[in-house]
Amino acid sequence: MNLEKVVFGFFIVLAMTLNFGFFIGDMADPEFHHPYELFAAIVVNLIATVLKFGDRTQIGAIHLSTSLVADLQLITAAVVWASVSGMGNTVPAGIMVSIVSLSGGAFLANVTSVVLLIVETIMLRR
Amino acid sequence: MNSILFLILRRMRVPLITLIVSYAVAILGFTLMPGTDGSGKPWSMSLFEAFYVVSYTATTIGFGEIPYAFSTAQRLWMTFSIYLTVIAWFYAIGKIISLAQDPGLRQAVTVLRFARAVRQLHEPYYIVCGYGGTGSLLVEALDRIGIRVVSLEISQDRINELELQDYQSPVPALCADARMPEVLLHAGIQQPLCKGIAALTDDDHANLAIAVAVKLINPDLPVLCRAENQETAANMASFGTEHIINPYELFGEHLAMEVHALGSYLLHEWLTGTPGDSLPSPACPPSGKWIVCGFGRFGKAVVRNLERNNMQTVIVEADPVLTGCEHCIVGSGAESRTLLEAGIKDAVGIVAGTDNDINNLSIAMTALEINPDLFVVIRKNKRYNAPLFEHFNADITMHPTDIIAHECLAHLISPMLAQFLTLARGQSNQWANELISAMVERVGETVPETWAVTLTGDHAPALINLLGHGKTVRLETLLRNPANRSEELPIVPLLLQREKDSILLPDASMQLMIDDRILFCGKPGAKSAQPLMLINRKVLSYVLDGMDMPDGLVWRWLTNRQTEKSRP
Repeated sequence: MNLEKVVFGFFIVLAMTLNFGFFIGDMADPEFHHPYELFAAIVVNLIATVLKFGDRTQIGAIHLSTSLVADLQLITAAVVWASVSGMGNTVPAGIMVSIVSLSGGAFLANVTSVVLLIVETIMLRR
Repeated sequence: MNSILFLILRRMRVPLITLIVSYAVAILGFTLMPGTDGSGKPWSMSLFEAFYVVSYTATTIGFGEIPYAFSTAQRLWMTFSIYLTVIAWFYAIGKIISLAQDPGLRQAVTVLRFARAVRQLHEPYYIVCGYGGTGSLLVEALDRIGIRVVSLEISQDRINELELQDYQSPVPALCADARMPEVLLHAGIQQPLCKGIAALTDDDHANLAIAVAVKLINPDLPVLCRAENQETAANMASFGTEHIINPYELFGEHLAMEVHALGSYLLHEWLTGTPGDSLPSPACPPSGKWIVCGFGRFGKAVVRNLERNNMQTVIVEADPVLTGCEHCIVGSGAESRTLLEAGIKDAVGIVAGTDNDINNLSIAMTALEINPDLFVVIRKNKRYNAPLFEHFNADITMHPTDIIAHECLAHLISPMLAQFLTLARGQSNQWANELISAMVERVGETVPETWAVTLTGDHAPALINLLGHGKTVRLETLLRNPANRSEELPIVPLLLQREKDSILLPDASMQLMIDDRILFCGKPGAKSAQPLMLINRKVLSYVLDGMDMPDGLVWRWLTNRQTEKSRP
């Protein structure tokens, strides 16, 4: 067992699960989508991205690009949220839908990442 | 570029993760700390506000307590996060700076820049390995002819010197060991535009390694190699190195040429010089008895060539056993006793050819004291002794560097030039003298440019078109000035190759044929004027018939009508 692989897999899967947790629920209802969940998803995603730096293989490159897509989508969602909800305003339902759908896109990218991780592991055959 | 980016990213992993985690902890903490807003109501930061505060705190900008004055809990957390995030930032910045100064990384950047500069050369170029005395001379001469050069050199000092030189076009140079195949690949030995490589380092083994690597990676690339040892030369020849240059052997040949055929020697020097240089007046070595001091590689070559020209030679050598010398006078030659024994009184010339500069100078000075009429040939080994040799001013000073550079130029300018020189060596001295006077008359007394023209569709489309229509074009056409056909360009045709035949000094009235290869020499201006005739049909027809061709449909139609009218 390789500790580096454990940490790598842990962060990639955690990024996906946190993302999923934020995404799931009624899209227009802020009750289902807590800001801390988004925060945690962004932080874990960023760490996962950095962990993927410096891998020269083809699969490493795809790994990095899926992560970058997820980062981009989640950070966009956070920026939209922050710009609308300044100083205690509640978020309108329409904006909430777009925030959640952005995170939904990031979730897809994270799923791709996990699929890649599994494919890579299966191809290893040992 | 990719590998460097990946290297940086890989090294930045730990600092970046530290930064992300410290930010996350600080932001999370701020949103949890209880505070009050301006009117005293309970308030805690949103994630965005916390990110804002942490951002300006971590980067030590410090806007203060925004949007409301902090509560004690918030201040406590602020204190903690200052130490956490600021330290993380400094750590990351320190890492970036140390990465930028990493010698390995800098070397990687230099290599990549060099490789990119080579890839961006969009014209044919040569690689010169070793920017020493020979290399710098060759680079300068090639640059002056307008041929691009890439240089590899192992010493950074020499690279700095190259960068300070004022060349017409930039010379990409890399400080690296050319024995490494990877370095040669970066220098572009696999690029289609690379026309040849000259291995001129002062280490025979390095030259050998370069030749082997090039012949394995790109067997079609012509290789010029400097080799001072016979074994290395034989080794290089065994795997097909095109040109092996042995400076001692070459000097022996040159000296022999100078002794028995001054004209041929002058011709050789003239055509392989740096264009624009004026030719120094040649020394004329006398015939008679020669004393050769030092029977090493240089001495052996000199003796062999002198004896081939029926000169009597007396050898003076300090170590006859090591050098394999059978009939010689034992001694260094620096003391008058040995020289007298060798018969210095009735000798016409002396060759001071040991591998020690001071000994050589001492030999020459002693010899001149005994017999002031001696013709002195002296061998210079070390560059730093140049002022001594300049001061001594021997009849001929042998610089290996000059000789190699001249020979390289002959091969690099055009393979035809090397062939011409070989053919010229077989001609009489009389012939060479006549050619020289003819050349001086037409191209002046400075070293001319030499170039080859191939009559193919790619290089001379206009001429090929005319020849294809069965028109007769004579060689003299190519010697006319395209701007004024009654004038002649300062050009001398040296050699014409047709299939397997080589015609030395072709006659101007000769008819040209498709696929002819012609070697010209002439002034630089003439070299740039001539291609106009080969490429442009209108210019060619003007030079041939004195007619300006009509251009455009209307004019062509009008001219055709005119000629039809005037015919009946």
